[in-house]
Amino acid sequence: MKQNCFHIILAFFLCTLSTYAQLDSIQQLPEVLLTDSKFVHFSKGFKLEKLNDSIIERNATSLTETLRYNSSIYFKENGSGMVSSPSFRGTNAAQTAVIWNGININSVFTGQTDFNTISPLNYDEISIRSGGGGVQYGSGAVGGSIHLNNTFTFEKIDTTQITINHGSFSTIGGNASTTQAWGDHYLNVGVDFISSENDYNYIEKNQKNKHGEFLRFAAKVNEARRLKNGIATWNSEYTYNDRNFSGSLNTIGKDKYKDLSTRNLWQLHQTFGAFDAKASVAHLFEQYRYFPDSEKQLYDEGRANTFIGFFQSEVLLQKKFRINGKVEYSYINAEGDNVGENSRKTLATVLLLNHKVSDDFSYGLNFRKEFLNDFDNPFLFSADAKWKVSKNYALRLNGSKNYRIPTFNDLYWYAGGNHNLQPETSYQVELGQEFWFGKLKADLAAYFISSEDLIKWIPGNGGIWEPVNITKTRNYGVEVTFDYSIKLLNQHTLGFTANYSYTNAEDLEKEKQLIYVPFHKAAGTIQYNYKTLMVYFQGLYNGEAYTTTDNSSAVKGYKVFNLGTEFTIPSNPQITFGIRLKNMFNVYYENVAYRPMPSRNIQLFLKFNI
Amino acid sequence: MKKLFSLTFATLLLISCSNDDDPQPGPNPPEAYEKGILITNEGPFNNGSGTITFVSEDFATVAQNIYRTVNGKELGNIVQSMGFQDENAYIVVSNSAKIMIANRYSFESVDSIKTGLVNPRYFMGDAGNKGYVTDWGDPNDNSDDYVAVLDLRTNAIAATIPVAFGPERMVSYNNKIYVAHQGGYGQNNLISVISGNTVESTITVSDVPNSMVVSGNSLFVLCGGNPSYTGNETAGSLVKIDLSSGQVSNTYSFGATEHPSNLTMDGTNLFYSLDGKVYKLNSSAIALPGTDIISGFFYVLQAKDGLLYATDAGDYASKGSLKIFDLSTNQQIQDFQTGIVPGGIYFNE
Repeated sequence: MKQNCFHIILAFFLCTLSTYAQLDSIQQLPEVLLTDSKFVHFSKGFKLEKLNDSIIERNATSLTETLRYNSSIYFKENGSGMVSSPSFRGTNAAQTAVIWNGININSVFTGQTDFNTISPLNYDEISIRSGGGGVQYGSGAVGGSIHLNNTFTFEKIDTTQITINHGSFSTIGGNASTTQAWGDHYLNVGVDFISSENDYNYIEKNQKNKHGEFLRFAAKVNEARRLKNGIATWNSEYTYNDRNFSGSLNTIGKDKYKDLSTRNLWQLHQTFGAFDAKASVAHLFEQYRYFPDSEKQLYDEGRANTFIGFFQSEVLLQKKFRINGKVEYSYINAEGDNVGENSRKTLATVLLLNHKVSDDFSYGLNFRKEFLNDFDNPFLFSADAKWKVSKNYALRLNGSKNYRIPTFNDLYWYAGGNHNLQPETSYQVELGQEFWFGKLKADLAAYFISSEDLIKWIPGNGGIWEPVNITKTRNYGVEVTFDYSIKLLNQHTLGFTANYSYTNAEDLEKEKQLIYVPFHKAAGTIQYNYKTLMVYFQGLYNGEAYTTTDNSSAVKGYKVFNLGTEFTIPSNPQITFGIRLKNMFNVYYENVAYRPMPSRNIQLFLKFNI
Repeated sequence: MKKLFSLTFATLLLISCSNDDDPQPGPNPPEAYEKGILITNEGPFNNGSGTITFVSEDFATVAQNIYRTVNGKELGNIVQSMGFQDENAYIVVSNSAKIMIANRYSFESVDSIKTGLVNPRYFMGDAGNKGYVTDWGDPNDNSDDYVAVLDLRTNAIAATIPVAFGPERMVSYNNKIYVAHQGGYGQNNLISVISGNTVESTITVSDVPNSMVVSGNSLFVLCGGNPSYTGNETAGSLVKIDLSSGQVSNTYSFGATEHPSNLTMDGTNLFYSLDGKVYKLNSSAIALPGTDIISGFFYVLQAKDGLLYATDAGDYASKGSLKIFDLSTNQQIQDFQTGIVPGGIYFNE
């Protein structure tokens, strides 16, 4: 009872604090457990990158910024803070799946996630899984998937963290979270908030970014309880975004977008002898309101409820064969001014196998079959292997068939929605190499993706645009990542991380590079630590990207640099403060043509660890 | 609803573009664009600038992006249309809510009109230093549409005439301006008759009047009909109005699911496009659908002196083209590259 009261009080705390704050909880938890366990065991032959807290905190304005500086993923951001869509290995915006605690949260309407609506500080761990994940994660995991995970533990914890920050363009933000673990209970509650006038100057253009104000609020509750033979967990989050859409160099911004989502996941995990069983129920709600004129109350609205129930069971035989079977049922009901009311039921069965042949070699086979859809039910598969050749070198290999089902907008948009659409399908293979030499770690991956029946909106009869399964693309590329750290002198360390990617993504009919897929992208950070002082220097190079399908126009390549420092007071280690200077050389750059990005700006923050 | 354009484009496709064609620096003779064809290119929908392409009368020279070449600056987002009065070209830039004025022969910038316009569509010059501009106002508000009356001496708006929603193309006849109310993001079925600064009368035609030509004493209005997605699909039709009485004298109907567009005229022949074909009709003896003479999905058509000029916008995200057909043989005789989404064909003589 006492605990229940405590929960209620915390929930109340969360609600009342909703005007400020959020936070990220980043504990160095011993024996941390993931709510999405299959993530680790069945992705051995895939490239997995985990972003740690300190990396996330440096680029925490939005998930767009976090990933832009710390992964090979390219983002097409419609001006700072506006709609942002990813291109992962040159695939389209709906071919990157965002997975929250194992659940695919891409929008029912657009099939994609707007990465500016997600606070990177709302999770304990952000991971990037490159390559096809359709078997495990369903529609949209073609280029790769982004995993937003909340973890839990039952080792005693009592931490609370509060951060406030203030920066250029009237930007204020804050977050607060607390994590408590006692006995058989784990509880994590947090809120996060950012708001900005976003009225930066367009460098050397004598113009300002107008009508680009945005606000984002997120809250989370994550709870776990240890039971007699298992664990019960509850993950919950709420996000709200209210954004005006900014104008561009030659247009005036008038429209506005408000979106709200709630996500809840309940899981019961039980162990029966060698079997590990998990029953889960999830509910996702998303709502958007598009205001063509922010001064008026007229809007178009869409709302969707997704109910998911799944049961999975895993067994480890002879400490070698890990088998996971899953049956998942989902029901989506969506209603929108432009799509009417529609629903979709899907039954999916998934079988995952991993065979650990030796400590150095393992391989996996994975299958997924869906039923009940309105279109051809895809059968997906993937195979992967990892071989640790020596203590300095390992090889990864994987191949998969993936898909992306038509969204409700594609199917039902009024006017133009096409009920006869089929899923986009794609086949891919990847070869990866991992190297370790002391503190140097490097990863070299090469991939090939062939996609067909890609959905494209084209003008049909009577000037009405409609989506059709028409485009074929072929993507190939290389990705390199480096990670190195060195101890200089006593208490001095230097760290270096960098990534580079070459992406060739061709429309096979036009024989041209896809729009908004730069051939080259690179990012890197140098970090210096001395006692409780940390200084970092971060750079991003984004190559030229075409903006027309005949490659006749392009948005120029650019280089942007950030500098930051933070300091923890030695006599009072609960307080850390710092400064981040972004776009320090005040470079003019556009991410999307005619939409300049922010000029030089500064951010101050103050963090309390209690 | 064509909200498809705003929303789908903004959030899904994110098609956009920077501009261009390499600028061709260097001086241009003042009358560089005196005799030939001018194409207004809307440009990419979401970002970027529209352009103007020039093709010389003898088809020997093609110049892209002429306004920027001459003036070193861009026109703005969505170059919707262009109109002429005396020496000047009035270039209507809808999404940037302005009209750019340039000398029609040299394309040197003269002036611009940036106040009083919200979503301008077409310009029509009139005698007596007047110009008319149709304007949707807020496209999601059907009650704020207007026709702006410009004083061409000061290039300022002298008056605004509230009109029914969705005013689009205009023609003038006998000191009156006939405004077709195609209907903006929705559908309408009216022609407003403007005299001076007032709406003198309205003529009800069929749904979605999208193009008009004056032939003798008659006004032919091609109505596309309501598209099927409205849930109230209506057939396209060709409406003939007797301009002396201001009454509809005949309505010729298309099939229930046929939605024609792009009415243009050369001599006594009318041309229009429907379902990937161009049809020819005799304006004095109308029998629908007429003869199909050319195949192709064209964005706009313009017939003149025995030739048919037709633009192809391709995938609307790359450079389009202008195709020219000889109407005596119906064979294509020329094919020129244009800018992105070539949406208007005009002539300098």
